[in-house]
Amino acid sequence: MSSSSSELLPSGAPVSFSEISEAMALGTCQHSGATPMRALVATVVAVGPTERLGDAAEALQALGDAGTVRGILISEGDTTAPPARVAGNTVALHGLKPAFFNNAVAALRLSSLPTLVWWRGGRPDTLDGLADLADRIVLDDDPPEPVWSRAAGLFGDTAFSDLRWARLTQWRALMAHFFDIPEVLAAAADFSRLTISASDRMSARLFAAWLSSSIELQAGFVVELKDGSTGTPLDEIRLGDHQQELVVRLAGHRTCLETEVSVKGHRSVSRLVSLQAHTLTGLLTEELRIRARDAAFERALAHLVSRT
Amino acid sequence: MKRKASYDRREMHGNPLHDGLRIEPTPGPTTLVIFGASGDLTRRKLLPAVYRLSRRGRLPAQFAVVGISRTPMDDESFRAQFRDSLKEFAGTGAGVDEVAESLASRMFYVSGETDDAGLYERLQARLADVNGAEGVLFYLATPPTVYAAAIEQLGASGLADAPGRGWRRIVVEKPFGTDLDSARALNRLAHQHFDEDQVYRIDHYLGKETVQNLLVFRFGNGMFEPVWNRRYIDHVQITAAETVGVEHRAAYYEGSGALRDMVQNHLMQVLSLVAMEPPIAFTAESVRDRKMDALLSAQPLVSNGDGTSPATSHVVRAQYRAGWVNGVEVPAYRGEKGVAAGSVTETYAAVRVHLDNWRWAGVPFYIRTGKRLPKRTTEIAIQFRRPPLEIFRRASHASVAPNLLIVNVQPDEGISLRFETKLPGTRMQVAPVMMNFRYGTTFGSEVPEAYETLLLDAMLGDPTLFARHDFVETSWALVEPVLDAWRATSGDIPTYEAGEWGPAEADDMMARDGRRWRSL
Repeated sequence: MSSSSSELLPSGAPVSFSEISEAMALGTCQHSGATPMRALVATVVAVGPTERLGDAAEALQALGDAGTVRGILISEGDTTAPPARVAGNTVALHGLKPAFFNNAVAALRLSSLPTLVWWRGGRPDTLDGLADLADRIVLDDDPPEPVWSRAAGLFGDTAFSDLRWARLTQWRALMAHFFDIPEVLAAAADFSRLTISASDRMSARLFAAWLSSSIELQAGFVVELKDGSTGTPLDEIRLGDHQQELVVRLAGHRTCLETEVSVKGHRSVSRLVSLQAHTLTGLLTEELRIRARDAAFERALAHLVSRT
Repeated sequence: MKRKASYDRREMHGNPLHDGLRIEPTPGPTTLVIFGASGDLTRRKLLPAVYRLSRRGRLPAQFAVVGISRTPMDDESFRAQFRDSLKEFAGTGAGVDEVAESLASRMFYVSGETDDAGLYERLQARLADVNGAEGVLFYLATPPTVYAAAIEQLGASGLADAPGRGWRRIVVEKPFGTDLDSARALNRLAHQHFDEDQVYRIDHYLGKETVQNLLVFRFGNGMFEPVWNRRYIDHVQITAAETVGVEHRAAYYEGSGALRDMVQNHLMQVLSLVAMEPPIAFTAESVRDRKMDALLSAQPLVSNGDGTSPATSHVVRAQYRAGWVNGVEVPAYRGEKGVAAGSVTETYAAVRVHLDNWRWAGVPFYIRTGKRLPKRTTEIAIQFRRPPLEIFRRASHASVAPNLLIVNVQPDEGISLRFETKLPGTRMQVAPVMMNFRYGTTFGSEVPEAYETLLLDAMLGDPTLFARHDFVETSWALVEPVLDAWRATSGDIPTYEAGEWGPAEADDMMARDGRRWRSL
């Protein structure tokens, strides 16, 4: 068990639970010897099965080393006295019984600053206790359906988001930009089909749910999901009818998104924007910037869950 | 006055897909028309800013740039200039990528003389070709001598009028006039052809993150505003120091000097943000009204009526001598290329401003700016009063240092607070410590360049961070008597050695008030 714990945070030092705060303070002081102490902005708690926390540990350590967050990794198990390791601003608890997740978070989170829970899997009912403690829960499960259903019932308790959703931000923004063009807005009522090519079908369904829950679509509107070929969550989105079309697609060796608009009364325009790298650290940084409930996500998820 | 610009940020809220979108608002369809397209500002700042906005996905789906200048060029040459400017100034290393190429394909060029009506006919035709009747942002990145001709011709050609649901706005670079009369004349001319809410007088200091953060710091926190007044604050020092000399701008700088170049615009804007009363809302007019109130309360900088000459008042000017800055020997200002041998243009200015209002009566605001100073830094330092009773003086054998709040505008953007603490040990000794917040390290995200922020705001129709006509005129009215007094003063201008913190006269000015400049 201790070897698994060290896998989560190999550079960390083993400590008992009661010594974690002291060890983190010491680690922070040592850290500040090289870099000036910085202003912390949040606690990020990653929970899930051990096999899904390895890359989470790296992301949290990167954020911790940047001096902006306290990272807490908790892997699911059946022990009540989990071994802990501390490295700088990050602590890992291995094999903790899910019933005590919220107790551990309550003891270790930074006071007076937001707590973000990064859900990487586990028993969905654990979410209930964490929803009471967390200011924001970012879902990141695979497959996501069970936890999405659970989360939809907890929207009143805390703010929710999903890393799949964060990966859609630019796709959604570019689709929204189309609708700033008056001719597109006028043509929207005629649109009858949404076609999404995607390697991650759940991302495609989430996008479709967002669009369906945001604008009025005509009766009989068809959503078609196709298998993608690039290995990235989405390859291409096409919205329109047989004469008009809005397109957002991957381009430039998957480093860019290309958009094309072709609607009545408006000449066709194409452009490229860079696709932001979707590293876990980058996605978490995006989530940390958001303080309010994400009404668009809640609407989309509720729409999707209601049709599942 | 003409009709109000109609297509703005509020209208975009009609787009349901923007609700809850994490990426901030983007403008509607826009064409950016840059006058002075072959100039330095366009290459160094504007084109790189457009590129970075595009990379961030902040430009609209329908966007184009039309460059205008006297230089004969075709579209392809302008695109080549764009690529070159990215390589040199965009700070991306790679320079030209797919995004840049996509953007380049939406760049067009029209050459001609600014006062030639034919230029505007060609521009009209080009706009119809690239954008139709949507939003057009005219950007005057030209020498100020051609502002009037461009504004007049835009008005005469009908280009200032937006058909249908489109909009037209004009961005005017500094300097906005060279004195009060010329600023008023330019405002009058602009208002003949554009509404005030179509005119965006840019001051890039207002686009800086920390300057904007002043509003959040003061009005987004409950604990600072109660002590932000004469009861708790002793004085304020605003410093804008440069290590560079006049460089390639001698022709402009000889006719300007530090007071016109920095104090009248940038530093008066900063002062007004520090001193303003709380706005009732974060709206352009509310914020700008309160800034205006602060500026209107400023007392004249020079007392002409009581026989006090500028030399003995709280206004100081000086010019740098040869010296040593950033590890190299540098010539005197008068030895710089393009500078007259007997020039009396000031490269350093320091002024004391008193604001006659309930909040600030008796609290001096000291402003200093100069070239060839030891380090490049811009900061606002709020020095608080000492505690009324110094109970630790006997134990520490020293006065406690007053609390100090420092807003670093550049280069290391952030906020620091100095307070006293007990030194570890059995004796009661106190010592000052600094608590630091730094933008760069705390949020770990790239801080946008000022021109990105301001260009985007102008496209979105948000004038909050732009100077209003009355602010510009009031600011000129404040500094003009100083310029007049300097002109009337015989004798040579005081000097300071390049690489030192200004002339002795500036230290004397502070000493007369029983204060010192902060050591930076």
